[in-house]
Parts: sequence; C-alpha cells; structure tokens
Amino acid sequence: MNPLAAFGRFELFRLLRSWRFLAVTVGFPVIFYMLFLSDHSARKVIDGTVPWREYLMVSMCSFGALVAALNAGGTRLASERATGWARQLRVTPLPPWSYVGTKVAVSMVVVLPVVLLVELVGTTFGGVPLSPAEWFELTALLWLTALPFAVLGVFVGFLVHAETAYPVVTVLMFVLGYFGGLFTPVSSMPGALQTTARLLPSYHHATLGVALLAGHGLGASHWLVLAGYAVVLALVIVLKYRREESRGLA
Amino acid sequence: MLQPVGRSDDPAPPGVRPPTRPPAAGPAFRFDRAVHRYGATVAVDRLSLQVERGEKVALLGPNGAGKSTSIAMLLGLLDANEGSIEVMGTTPRRAMAQGVVGAMLQQATGNGLPHGERVGTVLEMVRRLYRHPAPVEQLVRRAGIEALLGRQTQRLSGGQAQRVRFAVAIAGNPELLFLDEPTAAMDIDARRAFWEVIDELGRQGLTIVFATHHMEEAEHADRVVVINHGRVVADGPGATLKAAVAIRRLRFATTCTDQARFDRLDGVTDVELRGGGGVILNSLDADATVCDLVRSGIGFRDLEVTGARLEEAFLALIRQADAGTTGEVP
Repeated sequence: MNPLAAFGRFELFRLLRSWRFLAVTVGFPVIFYMLFLSDHSARKVIDGTVPWREYLMVSMCSFGALVAALNAGGTRLASERATGWARQLRVTPLPPWSYVGTKVAVSMVVVLPVVLLVELVGTTFGGVPLSPAEWFELTALLWLTALPFAVLGVFVGFLVHAETAYPVVTVLMFVLGYFGGLFTPVSSMPGALQTTARLLPSYHHATLGVALLAGHGLGASHWLVLAGYAVVLALVIVLKYRREESRGLA
Repeated sequence: MLQPVGRSDDPAPPGVRPPTRPPAAGPAFRFDRAVHRYGATVAVDRLSLQVERGEKVALLGPNGAGKSTSIAMLLGLLDANEGSIEVMGTTPRRAMAQGVVGAMLQQATGNGLPHGERVGTVLEMVRRLYRHPAPVEQLVRRAGIEALLGRQTQRLSGGQAQRVRFAVAIAGNPELLFLDEPTAAMDIDARRAFWEVIDELGRQGLTIVFATHHMEEAEHADRVVVINHGRVVADGPGATLKAAVAIRRLRFATTCTDQARFDRLDGVTDVELRGGGGVILNSLDADATVCDLVRSGIGFRDLEVTGARLEEAFLALIRQADAGTTGEVP
C-alpha cells in the first residue's frame, strides 16, 4: 500500500472509531432538525422562497458539515502536535505536507455522510420532496462548499493550544451556527446581526443550498466569501508551518 | 590500562562490518562545513563529520551545543544555510523518503504517539509507510512491547511510550538509525534491555547514531563525537572514552613548580599548575601515581582524589593521542 493511502486509512478509521466524534457529528444536526421541525414557524415559508422544513434541512446539513469538519480537524490535530506525534511522522517516508493535507481530506470525507444523513432525515421525517437530481445536486454543492470548514478545523488545530482547542471548537460551532443563521432564519434577525451573518462562511454555505432548492441562481458573492475563507485560512496555515519548519519543529 | 588511540579518521576496527548486509558504497552520512543559524545565533558552525556505514556513534555535548540541530539537519527537518549534508548517498529528505532512515526524537511534551489508539494499530500503520518493513514479531521482541500491543497509547508510562517509539523508529528496517536521548524515561532494566538490542542491531550492520547525556551509555559506541559551539571538538574511539571513565583527578598543595616532574609520574595524563602551590593531575591509575609521587620525594599535603570530569578527561586523552599531529582539535 502507498504510504499516503496507509496513513489516510489509519486517520479515517481512527475518527470513525471515536464514539465522541460520531455522537456529536451525527447527533447534533439530526436532533436539532427533529427539535426545530415542530417549531411554531414550521408551516412558514422563509423569505418567500422555501418552506421551513427545507430551509432547516439545508441549515442542518451546513451545521453537520461544520461540526464534522471542526471536530475531525481541530482537537485531534492540536493534541497530536502537542504530544510530538506530528513531528514523529515527519521522520517517516510520508511527504512533508501529507499530514496536514490528509487532515483536510479526511475532514472532507466525513462531511459527506453527515450531509447525506441529514438529507435522509429531511426527506423521511421532514417530508421534504427531493427528486434524485436535486439530491445529487444539493449533496454535491453542500459537500464541495464545505472545504472552508475543513480548512478551518485544521486552522484551529494548528494555531490553538491543545488544551484550549476543544472549547474553541465548541464555541466556533455554535457561534458560526447561530450567527450564521443556521438555527433562525437570518431575515428574522435584527439588522446588526444580519450584517454579521453575511461575514460568516456558515451563512453563505447554507444560503447556496437554499438557493439551489428555491431554483434561484447560485450567487457569485457566496462562492467568493467561501473561497476567500478557504484561501486566507490555508495561507495562515502555510505561513505558520513554514515558520515552524525553519526552526525544525514542524 | 587502555591506551588512548588515534583519531576518528582511522578506519573502523575489523569485525564491525556486518555479515548480514552487503557493504554499500559511500559513507552513511557526511557533513561538509554545514552551517545552521537561528536568526543571529549560529547553532551549527561549519561542522564537518563523516560517519561510515556500520559505525555506532555516540554524540556528546552540553545542552545547546548544536547536537539536536545537527540531528534535525540529518533528518531533513532543517536545511543547511551553508555547506552540504549527504545521507546514504543522497539528500537528507530523499533518504527519509526512501525509508532507509529511522529516528527516535526527543520529546519535550507528551509521549509522541497519537492518543486514543491501540499501540498495535499505530505500529501496523507505521510499518505500511515503508517498502521493506520489519516483521511485527521482530519489532515487538526488540522493543520489548509484547504486553503493550493492546494498550491505548495515552495509558502508557513514560518508559513504555519510549519503547513503543523505539519500535516505530525501527519499523521500516532502517539502515541508519538516530536516537536522541533514547533512554531518558526508562528504568534500569529497560535501559539494559534496550542497549542489548542496540548492540544486536549494530552487529547486523546498522549504522547507529545516538545523542546522550549518560557517559556510561556512550560506551556502547565504537566512536564518540563531542560537539560544542556547533562544531566537532573531539572525535575518538569508544575505547578512549572507556579509558577516560577510569581517569581520576588528584589535587594537592606543594612547593614544587616543575611541571616536567609531575608529567613523568606513573599514569599521569594531564598536569595543571595552579597559583598558590595548587596542582591538579589527571591520572589513568591514581594508586600508581600516588605511590610514585611519594617515591619521587616531592613534598605534598591535602591530597584529594576524585573522579575526573569525563568530558574534560576525554578531551585530554584525545589531545594526547593527537600530540604531534595537526588535528583540528583545539
């Protein structure tokens, strides 16, 4: 087996064997979907475009992707850097960048089943009518645009101390979830919060999904913000990595 | 008594070369006036050092002497700002990518293993990173981790984790093995077992380089290299170090100031005259030196015999062996 494949497999199985990871990533979005589905506004149509149950399904897909990516990347990476495991891997045949690269890739891999699961719950319990084509398009869209979340997870693991990584991940999860309008439609928020929401990747991620279901165009601004987050965060990771490497610590 | 022997440039003693591995061309690694700076600080200063395949080398030197930086450069973790480094006939990074180098790094914090995973699973993955991994049974036996395979990595004691990291270091069946302070957290039994395995690996022709603070551990080496201020300050056979271990320091007060008379005494390797009638002698055989001192009729009082500071004693022996040659040893 190729070294990279062996390492990727190890990382993936490691994550899937973790009960805490599975409980949080599967539990949060699915339970929140069930809870909020029966909200008094359940019969409402959000912003005159899609029904609440559909809006909520997309929101919970976004939240699930966020939770999966942050928990896959952040806490573990910080702890492995602290214990010296990351450095030990540098003295194996693994290419220098493969550790960080694999973390991002594995985060993306675990995001996919979470998105699919929430869609399944949405179509069964939520009664969201999705044609096979819509399933496919929505899944592909929400999955690919989750890249900034995966990079954010690695970013947290890279920049935050091992002991504070877990609380930071938890706070980020709920801040990005709540202020990004994943629990309450942004249009029903006060003006200042609406402006804040537009700065967050979670808002743009979910908004793209909702636009797809509503049959609206997928606005370029959403893509730009998401790509901007991915690029800027990745750049900071590269700079930090380079700095550590020049001191022999990477 | 062991006599100080020649310098490192001598060929390795016969019998060191392994029967199990065909002799390959070229040295295991070579530093050629390599420099590494951290900002304005020069950690490695035009270091030149060549280690042949099959040698077992101890790196000694105080903290901050440039040992760890040198090892990081050999492993491709740091680049040389000037000069060059060659490992197994190629660049350090390529040698690492080829899987012919294994390393056990020093751990500042944590145990160097991924948490929440069984030892056996970690070892299995690491083996898959190499083209020619060592058989699991062999690794497990050599590292003495039979009982640890099913354990979670975060539940290991410091010494146990160190043994697992040793297994990780040799998992790829390396031809060149680096060990940075390998026994720091081990108890005495584990330490003894560890050195037995190192000696066994050495007999099989593995090139082994280890950094240590324990002089008695350096005796496991065929060759001892002392690094200070980023340069090689002494380089000699392990036997010289063994002799240095036996060196005693004699200190007394006397009115005699004729250095030559002290030099002629039995066993003396080094004489230092201090102001106010103080004399310090380093001796390979303190008993013989004292008898000779009495016989010589030199008056002395307040005699004190202590163990010599080992690094100094080693340096003195190397200097003695070098006397008359133009070595770069200061």
